[in-house]
Amino acid sequence: MTPALSVSHLRKVYRRGTVGVDDLSLEVAPGDFFGFLGPNGAGKSTTIHCVTGIANPTSGRVEVFGVDAVKHYRDARRLVGLSPQEFNVDPFANARDIVDWMGGYFGMAAAQRRGRVEMLLEKFDLVQHAKKRFRELSGGLKRRVMLARAMVNDPALLILDEPTAGVDVELRRDLWRYLQEMNADGKTIFLTSHYLEEVERLCRNIAIVSGGRIVRRGPKDEFVREPGGLEAAYLRATGAEPDHVAAPGS
Amino acid sequence: MSKSPVVNWIGLATLIRREWSRLMRVPIQAFVAPWISALLFIFIFGFVVGRRISLIGGHRYIEFVLPGILMLNIVNAAFLQSSSQVYFSRFLHYIEEALVAPLSYAEMIAGVIAVVILRSVITALGILIIAACFGAASIGAIPEFVFWVIAVSMVFGLLGIIIGLWANNFEQLTILNVFFITPLSFVGGVFNTISMLPPWLRWLAWGNPFFYFISGIRHAMIGFSEAPEGLGVGVALCLAALMSIVVWRLYSVGYGLRE
Repeated sequence: MTPALSVSHLRKVYRRGTVGVDDLSLEVAPGDFFGFLGPNGAGKSTTIHCVTGIANPTSGRVEVFGVDAVKHYRDARRLVGLSPQEFNVDPFANARDIVDWMGGYFGMAAAQRRGRVEMLLEKFDLVQHAKKRFRELSGGLKRRVMLARAMVNDPALLILDEPTAGVDVELRRDLWRYLQEMNADGKTIFLTSHYLEEVERLCRNIAIVSGGRIVRRGPKDEFVREPGGLEAAYLRATGAEPDHVAAPGS
Repeated sequence: MSKSPVVNWIGLATLIRREWSRLMRVPIQAFVAPWISALLFIFIFGFVVGRRISLIGGHRYIEFVLPGILMLNIVNAAFLQSSSQVYFSRFLHYIEEALVAPLSYAEMIAGVIAVVILRSVITALGILIIAACFGAASIGAIPEFVFWVIAVSMVFGLLGIIIGLWANNFEQLTILNVFFITPLSFVGGVFNTISMLPPWLRWLAWGNPFFYFISGIRHAMIGFSEAPEGLGVGVALCLAALMSIVVWRLYSVGYGLRE
């Protein structure tokens, strides 16, 4: 079966010589809920940027459902929705326009967009904030706009880079439920998060990246079954000291 | 897996709609400022000073100077529109919205240029209405006039994209305008004929693209021209083609756009 996402031997060197990722390879099966973990600066966002076209890979190959994301970038982009870690929007635009414009960029006709945008604004409890400028919204509301924008084209592969950073507990729970529903409907979800509880609850497979390389990968259950659970496994994989969490009997 | 359409028309229309909405947040800066500036130029140079100047090429000074003022404002509108559009979308990172979408480089560039032309045309129409109030808004050859408005908008719109991609701060964004566009446009014949310049400076006009642009639009409006029209059209088309290739290449390698 063609993987939803295939990254092979990806290398990204920035202009000033910083190596973002180095010989990184991973595959995500269609329909998977995949957790991509790693400390700050490990290469998670760089990998996502290379997959989505925000960064040019220095070498290596990226395919989305078998479509080369560099050579046939337009076909590949149609399959992906991205909620980035940083707010990359016009701060003076309102929430509805931000979501609607993205639908337009994806070639959705006005009538089709209207229904989809309204549904997403409702889903993320943004209806009463739809006409507010992005800069006037709270951190949590901004994050919701980013999520609605990422989903407007009903992507086959949804990439979420720290989607619940700064959001309240209620939205986090609602979002988890929604993502699980989407995943049950067959959408592939690629998630990075520093909240291990979130990854443990949602993901089926996990890869841990450190220093620009994959240092460990496998089914989530493997990580969870280890002494100290996912957190200890994560700390061991990234070379940190897990002693304080791996208490006896845990 | 279905393929993307050859042209993403809805995407292109959205790029234009989106930028137009940004432009409409600053209508005074975008349209009213150049109209007031043109009004002052027309009033002082054309009307007040011009009454004391004899005919140039058989035309009143206000009629002679209007095409130059018009060109000056079209150049500024085109350059400022594209350079600020590209620079701010990079600076605030919302360029990434287009980068992650199924938009081709040609569509992204066409989206910028379409708004550039729209802004230039509206600026030009406003100035023509102001000039009409002073009885100086004649256009002898409308197709030729439209050609020059669009060609010059394209050239400076594309130049603005290059600067918008290159600039890393607001200071760099203004460098070309201060050191290149304004001086060359002023010595390119906005307020005077080239024959009025000191002899040692005249040769410079032939290497100055503004000379051809101003001469071309002046010919379209009042039938007076110092440069051969065919040569002017050739210069404009060659510059537009050259800039298009450079801009397309910059987009395709991701210069200033992608990390």
